[in-house]
Amino acid sequence: MAKYVRQLQYLLFLLPILAIYSLFTIYPLIKSFFLSFTNFDGYTKAYDFVGLKNYVRIFVDDAITSAISYTLFFTFGKALLVTLLAIPLAMILDQKFLTRNIHRAIFFFPSIPSGLLLAYIWGFILAPISSGILNTVLRELFNIGPQPWLADPLLAKLSTIVVATWAITGWHAVLYLAFLQSIPKDYYEAASIDGANRLQQIRFITIPLLAPAMTVSVMLLLTGGLKVFEIPFALTKGGPGYETYSITQVIVQRGISETQYGLASAMSIVFFVIVLAIAIFQVTVMQRREQGLQ
Amino acid sequence: MKKTSLLLLITVLCLSVVLAACGSNNKNSNTGNTSNEGSTNNAAKGESEPKPVKLSILAWNNEKEMKPLIDGFKAKYPHITFDFQFVPPVTDYIAKLQTMLLSDTAPDIFMIAAENRNEIMDGGYALDLTDEPFMSVMLDSNKSMVSKDGRTYAFSQSGWAGGLFYNKQLFQEAGITQLPQTWDEFIEASLKLKEIGVIPLYDKMTDITIIHSALFGSNVLSKDPTFDEKLFKGEATFAEGWTEVLTMWKEGLIDNEILTPDMIGMTSDQLMNEFALGKVAMFPGGPWNIGPVEEINPDLEFEIMSIPGKEPGNNYYNGAPGVGFAVNSKTKNKEEALLFLEYMTTQEGLKQFEEGTGGIITVHGYESVVHPAYEPAYRDGLMTGKIYLPMVSWNRHQEALRVQFLVSFQDIAVNKITPEQATASLDNKLKEMDNK
Repeated sequence: MAKYVRQLQYLLFLLPILAIYSLFTIYPLIKSFFLSFTNFDGYTKAYDFVGLKNYVRIFVDDAITSAISYTLFFTFGKALLVTLLAIPLAMILDQKFLTRNIHRAIFFFPSIPSGLLLAYIWGFILAPISSGILNTVLRELFNIGPQPWLADPLLAKLSTIVVATWAITGWHAVLYLAFLQSIPKDYYEAASIDGANRLQQIRFITIPLLAPAMTVSVMLLLTGGLKVFEIPFALTKGGPGYETYSITQVIVQRGISETQYGLASAMSIVFFVIVLAIAIFQVTVMQRREQGLQ
Repeated sequence: MKKTSLLLLITVLCLSVVLAACGSNNKNSNTGNTSNEGSTNNAAKGESEPKPVKLSILAWNNEKEMKPLIDGFKAKYPHITFDFQFVPPVTDYIAKLQTMLLSDTAPDIFMIAAENRNEIMDGGYALDLTDEPFMSVMLDSNKSMVSKDGRTYAFSQSGWAGGLFYNKQLFQEAGITQLPQTWDEFIEASLKLKEIGVIPLYDKMTDITIIHSALFGSNVLSKDPTFDEKLFKGEATFAEGWTEVLTMWKEGLIDNEILTPDMIGMTSDQLMNEFALGKVAMFPGGPWNIGPVEEINPDLEFEIMSIPGKEPGNNYYNGAPGVGFAVNSKTKNKEEALLFLEYMTTQEGLKQFEEGTGGIITVHGYESVVHPAYEPAYRDGLMTGKIYLPMVSWNRHQEALRVQFLVSFQDIAVNKITPEQATASLDNKLKEMDNK
């Protein structure tokens, strides 16, 4: 009995945060689910139930089908690129050299300002006309004509991935760095005594022991990537056509701009399920991989 | 025991402080209420000093732009103070106002823009201003944007027209002695510029362009000014009105590579800079561009021109009335809010608004002084009503149609679809939105 009373005391301390969490997260989520079955327009409080009509409309909407394919392309492209770059970067930053701390700071810095700001700055670099910085550099150095970095469908998609990768790689490198530093140095010493070369050490010690970090990093990259909004929006506004429309942009567009809150709510619910499914799948698979590697 | 009594004492003290604070708050709010009633009574009797009132305003002009107007008003009515909130246009402003309206926390005065006019008027959020005497100064062409069923819900004192700014010197160098009077002449002039190695035109193509709007005006509206009305009554289609316009745009500008799809990602500032530096002969813009262009290159000789249609004489500009100021229908300070709107309509108020915002005043009996480079747009566009902006003219689902239009013409520009497919997609979108 006394045990339960003590537990109740702990729960009591959780109450305030639970109340706030319920008010600002759980309640809107439930409300959103409820609204997804209505034709609420965001202005008039009178609305009707329309059943599954909104859910059906999602799948005949060109913008949303295009947005889903772009968002997945962006998410997996970015996750792959960041992971491929962040691990070697973390290993380099783990070495002892004179400007190590400054370099860590420099690589970490792009993840601090907002995505919008970064994308606006990159807008000048990627400006499609001949006076764009990147196009000028290409012309001066290699005599290559101006490239439509943000106007060609494929180039625009790749450009957004490159900018996003540039912005976040340092952050993920720091995450890996933290895990790298927790690997005891004895392992490497023992391995080198056994005659393992640097590559073998990476293959058999670093990578397996970094597996938990990779699970976390990839999960953050996937969920963050699926929720992408700022960088493509600021760089291309979703264009050309619907080529770089993100799912979140369609939700904002349909909900706020076009005052179709019911439809936007249905989209958010479907989106929520997609993100949840991908995240659970990824974490399960990668945790199994961790166990396999260790 | 001692400890407990000390604790008790502290608790009582704290509580009394809190309660006292509550009490004084109540007192304040009570006096606040009576002061409101008092001011109404006093105003009616014309006696003694009116009690202070605080008017809340939500605007997308920032505080600096609105300062001359507000200061002028305060000098005249010292008992009225302001709670001024600024939210940048357009999406942020619309979203913020919408949240405030839905939660009954909307300010006394807010703006009605093209993007939210239908929702606000349909929802009954704005006071009907039709019979207010001060509304007589408003131009009919401005009233159309903020009216429904013959009732007007906001005061809009300004307007803007956009066209093509052209570099006079580059035109001369290319041997263009007379401004193009028809679309074919315009394309011809652009090609002449291209021949002498000058980029004829930059357009950012990230919204329905000035060229699209004006071309629709000069080709369709000049023959049938009621086309959009018919369109939304179901008596006309986008295919009938816009296919020819989009075809002319594609064949003239895209196929001749006067506009190239790589311009899609440009920003307004980039267009303007390139023009000011003399690197491009024309760019679409409005009155807001004149100051910055002159700042970058004070020696540049430039002027605005309209977009010609297929036949001579049907020139149009792109443009719309400025946003309207409306009074919240649930305001507790109706009298003071109307006083503020009335002040806006006076010569003094208009002058202050013009000074602060740099807007062009389009009100009966007030002559705006415009920059010489802008004179043609003011004279032939704004004051004669030869301006067109789809989002103001379309009477429902503007935002959904705007985005569909934007996506469609970008797809035309990259040769993904034809103008026929583009207008079909617009007709479908309208149907879809009507059946939602």
